[in-house]
Amino acid sequence: MSAWDRFAFTFLNLEVARTYWLDIAAGISVTVFVGIVVVATGLSLGLVLAGLRSLGLRVVTWPILVFVDLFRSLPPLAIILVIYFGLPNVGIVLPSLVVLWLSLSAVLAAFAEEVFWAGITSVAPGQWLAARSTGLTFGQTFAHVILPQAAKLAVPPLTNRTITITKNVALGSAIGVSDILGQANSALAMSTNATPLTIGAIFYVILFLPLVVASRRLERRFAWGVAGS
Amino acid sequence: MNALAGEFLNLDVMWRVMPMILAGLARSAVLCAVLLPIGLAGGIGAMLLSTSRVRAVRWAAIGAIDFFRAFPPLVLIVFVYAGLPFLGVELPTLASIAIAFFLNASSYFGEIYRAGIRSVPAGQAEAARSTGMTASQTFLSVTFPQAVRNVLPELISNTVELIKLTTLASIVSVPELLHSADLARSLTYNSSPLILAALIYFAILWPLVRLAGRLEHRLR
Amino acid sequence: MLNPDGAGAPAGSRLLEARGIRKSYAALEVLRGVDLVVERGELVFLIGPSGSGKSTLLRCCNRLEEPSAGTLLVDGVDLMSPRIDINRARRQIGMVFQGFNLYPHLDALGNVTLALRKVLRLSRRDAEARAMETLALVHLQDKARSYPGQLSGGQQQRVGIARALALEPKIILMDEPTSALDPELVGSVLGVIRELRERGMTMVIASHEMGFARSAADRVLFLEGGVIVEQGTAEQVFTSAREARTRQFVQQIMH
Repeated sequence: MSAWDRFAFTFLNLEVARTYWLDIAAGISVTVFVGIVVVATGLSLGLVLAGLRSLGLRVVTWPILVFVDLFRSLPPLAIILVIYFGLPNVGIVLPSLVVLWLSLSAVLAAFAEEVFWAGITSVAPGQWLAARSTGLTFGQTFAHVILPQAAKLAVPPLTNRTITITKNVALGSAIGVSDILGQANSALAMSTNATPLTIGAIFYVILFLPLVVASRRLERRFAWGVAGS
Repeated sequence: MNALAGEFLNLDVMWRVMPMILAGLARSAVLCAVLLPIGLAGGIGAMLLSTSRVRAVRWAAIGAIDFFRAFPPLVLIVFVYAGLPFLGVELPTLASIAIAFFLNASSYFGEIYRAGIRSVPAGQAEAARSTGMTASQTFLSVTFPQAVRNVLPELISNTVELIKLTTLASIVSVPELLHSADLARSLTYNSSPLILAALIYFAILWPLVRLAGRLEHRLR
Repeated sequence: MLNPDGAGAPAGSRLLEARGIRKSYAALEVLRGVDLVVERGELVFLIGPSGSGKSTLLRCCNRLEEPSAGTLLVDGVDLMSPRIDINRARRQIGMVFQGFNLYPHLDALGNVTLALRKVLRLSRRDAEARAMETLALVHLQDKARSYPGQLSGGQQQRVGIARALALEPKIILMDEPTSALDPELVGSVLGVIRELRERGMTMVIASHEMGFARSAADRVLFLEGGVIVEQGTAEQVFTSAREARTRQFVQQIMH
């Protein structure tokens, strides 16, 4: 067998692909579903926390800072394992999908809060004064004046961070979530061939490459926007 | 409350598993010591290729960088670790992890360096060249140092991410810190070892997270 | 209506009545008991060195800064009352800023309509109609769709004035409205202010435009070290001040 033949047999085995591709494709829906739910939860929680922090009340700010620093510093896999293996021993049993959702949402929320906060503090203080002087409330000022300006600055880093954390859905395979990687792993064990991994990898690239390319364009447009204004 | 403390903060258990945890910590340190230089150096390579004046090289480099940024690192590790043996290539586990990290980290670090290079005004290089410095001298002693300073917060943040990623080695059975802690958990039927590991990660990474935030604030 | 000090003109002619205003930041006392009383239709000029508390005093008048002590009546309404809806009250007190503080993400029309829609709850059509009228008052009706970044400083400041004016305030407070402008752009803003005065708008302006003060101000107040050192007509304050400190300051800004 030539080197290419062996490579093709191992990684691009059509026989194996035909048998298992549907199983692995079923993992896509899990990855996409968890990904969307994590993005929605994480970003909105991050935004709410940043909004609360801009109230400037110490009792609110401190717990937020603790939460943010904790979940930015801990490895996501460590968080997942602590929640997944720890809580059942004190009587709280959560399905692995829920554990994955909670862990990744908390991580994304922590990073998103920081990005939103950086955006909010970058808006000149005169904007608050001007808006409040016309009688807008705190909430109206935040929603209509501060947030649109903060968002412009926050979009590129937020996109990158969101993609990074969404890719972590694959960590779910460590606690038995049947996402793309989980399915590919079990197919790998059954077929004793690496082709399921290739299929899984292809699915991941199909899912995430457009997002990465889009974020690159977004970044460029943002850079021009700054130079032009 | 006592049940919670007994499950998560059992000092007895923590003390008993301490040798295991420390051995894991040592292994994690080795991982970082190997993987971080690989990523930082690989990033320079990725940056040089993706800013090449030859269009084909530039496009290929950018394509590869985006490809590996789209790839979940865990999938990459599993792919290299579990895939290559089928080919008949038997690599030590550390080597396969190093390959996976090289591909992933170089892409991320490369993008950061590139943003740094772009942030240095063109006048800097022009001034250096006008004094007779060569292109590589200009790059090494004028452009690159400024670029690194401008993206220092991002470099530190990404270093934190890379250290966090070393926990993925536990999935391919490298007895690093998280793996040892999880093993200790299954031996003691108690979650305190995991909490202990989390505390260690926090103690190491939190100062770096803060430092990056401080620097970012100062540069802004 | 009660007239607390029981003297002078009836309360009805006093539009702004701030008395004993104090403001401290930690150990630093920026305002040390300032009285600012403005009659209806009056144009009051506020002068004084930087750091004398001019900005702080203006911001205390609509409680953008919370006064540490003092009473504050606007058209007879007690702004310090705990029951007051400060956001409703603020729309009667327009404010114009040194740095314009226009919203960069909204065009000129959007800058003016935002509060009309959110605070006055006008429909988009009504808000835009009123905003266009107001922009016409500052001679910018043809710049309604321009963003702040596309306007000159003088145009931006006139949009800032329109934003305040559109809410039909009883009084407008201006914090150094022309000091961030290139000299050739100052005239257009002062021209608009003069037109407002002719229409009877009550205004308090912190500014060092002496020539304008001479021709337009009813009264000039000299603020230094957190207190009002001297006040009178522009002529009195600029040419025959009683206090040495005032004379010294006036001489400085003449040159």
